[in-house]
Amino acid sequence: MTGLVGRSVESITGALRGVFAAERVAAADGFLQRRDPRASLCAVAGLALAVMITRTLAVTLFFGAVTVALARLSKVPLRRLLARSAVVPAASAFVVLPQLVLLPGETLVQVLGVAVTDAGVSYVVLFTLRVGTGVALLSLIVMTTPFSAVVAAMRELRIPVALVWVIAVTYRYLFLFFDELQRLILARNSRTTGRSSVRGGWRDARRLAGTFLLRTIDRGERVGRGMRARGGARPPSPYGRARSVDRYDYALVALAAATVVGSGVIRWGL
Amino acid sequence: MGPVIESHGLSHEYPDGTTALRDVSLTIEAGERVAVIGANGSGKSTLQLALGGLVDASAGTVEYFGETTDAETVRDRLGVLLQDPDDYLFNTTVREDLEYGPAQLGMSKQAADRRIERLSDRLGLTGLLDQPPFRLSGGEKQRAAVASVLTFAPDVLLLDEPFGAVDGRYRERILELMTAHEGAVVSFTPSPDLVPELADRVILIGQDGSVIADGPVREVLTDGPLLREHGLRPPATVRLFDGIVDADAIPLTVSEAREFLVREIR
Repeated sequence: MTGLVGRSVESITGALRGVFAAERVAAADGFLQRRDPRASLCAVAGLALAVMITRTLAVTLFFGAVTVALARLSKVPLRRLLARSAVVPAASAFVVLPQLVLLPGETLVQVLGVAVTDAGVSYVVLFTLRVGTGVALLSLIVMTTPFSAVVAAMRELRIPVALVWVIAVTYRYLFLFFDELQRLILARNSRTTGRSSVRGGWRDARRLAGTFLLRTIDRGERVGRGMRARGGARPPSPYGRARSVDRYDYALVALAAATVVGSGVIRWGL
Repeated sequence: MGPVIESHGLSHEYPDGTTALRDVSLTIEAGERVAVIGANGSGKSTLQLALGGLVDASAGTVEYFGETTDAETVRDRLGVLLQDPDDYLFNTTVREDLEYGPAQLGMSKQAADRRIERLSDRLGLTGLLDQPPFRLSGGEKQRAAVASVLTFAPDVLLLDEPFGAVDGRYRERILELMTAHEGAVVSFTPSPDLVPELADRVILIGQDGSVIADGPVREVLTDGPLLREHGLRPPATVRLFDGIVDADAIPLTVSEAREFLVREIR
């Protein structure tokens, strides 16, 4: 395998491993797994909203702690949750990085003659933590509840069909996307010697990207037919996995509602 | 009972100019067993998709159950199995894939669960229900795809290469399920060998996408020159007995050949 392509294979395999692990976690007997999917969905969405509202580091850290506690109670390995949730906050941090020097404030350190301010550092840290906690909460629901149960819960909660449709199709295509990429790379690796320069690796990657685009379009069309053949043209309507809502479900939703209100009060002083 | 599918002058051309179907008119009756055979690239899969309402043909119409030309309104009565099981298995577990059709098409969960349990048992999927489909072997994927099209009990089955990479044991099971199916079964295959077990009627599609022959299995499959002219090899028993016995006495299956030989030897 060439360097670049080889690394791609490793990262894809890692992603798929994460998916397999997520299925094992979803099948485990944990706190969120025992909850009615509607309650889990409402609670996690509420907590994520509360995180988005907050502008305080301490409150954000509190939500981080709640996420970790929920993960532990639901037998979700923290390392796996972190690995699954790290990409988005890392990318977000990269986007807001210029704020380190753009926001006016007290100079903390000079880098190449540019002042990094305390306000800039606070902003970047808080923003990244908020995004990370929000993504970790959403990952938690995906890791602890079968996807069809999440879709069914969204329908039962009367979330607009179009939105449910977009979420359901996007999630499925995401898996197919990685599946197609892995096939393409395996097919390519089976016919290469493994000796390649960095430039050769990039050339391979360019060719691969073009072929990949065409193949994903084709695969998308074929899978679209597979869906339509079984009623996929109708709004998503998986069988519900609703259970009898118990006091823990109510408690979880109440906790989420309280955190939303609490976040609002802390931020706006209502 | 009447026709379940009727096509009138069906033609299809792909955007690159390739003609896949040419003026195909055919009728599938309720409960009929039909095999559509043709060489690679003859347009069998396109015909299956057009009959299943999954491709809009460039010309011609398809009528369903004598009452509509809109496949979506009768989707719960049409079971279309695509050629590649990967195109069919897009959910996160096999169970979700088997539930997908019945749920979308309005079958009750209890009825779907019963059918899924029975089909999983018959097709050796019980231990695989909570696995992600992309972790299955080729044969397992094919079995899961076949099960997923049978779960909602359609009136018509349109099956493109239903046996795929399935091994001998499960090939028999799929054949039994197809035989037990009460509705019409239309199989699309490039291999005439299995046709005598699948169908009573054969439709031969030529390389130009037109219907070359449409008739009883024996009549079409014992015509070696016709099959060869259109890129197909006659079934093994036909090749074996051709020229030795009369065309109307040629055994079409291994069991028929065995009976014939036992009879002749004694």
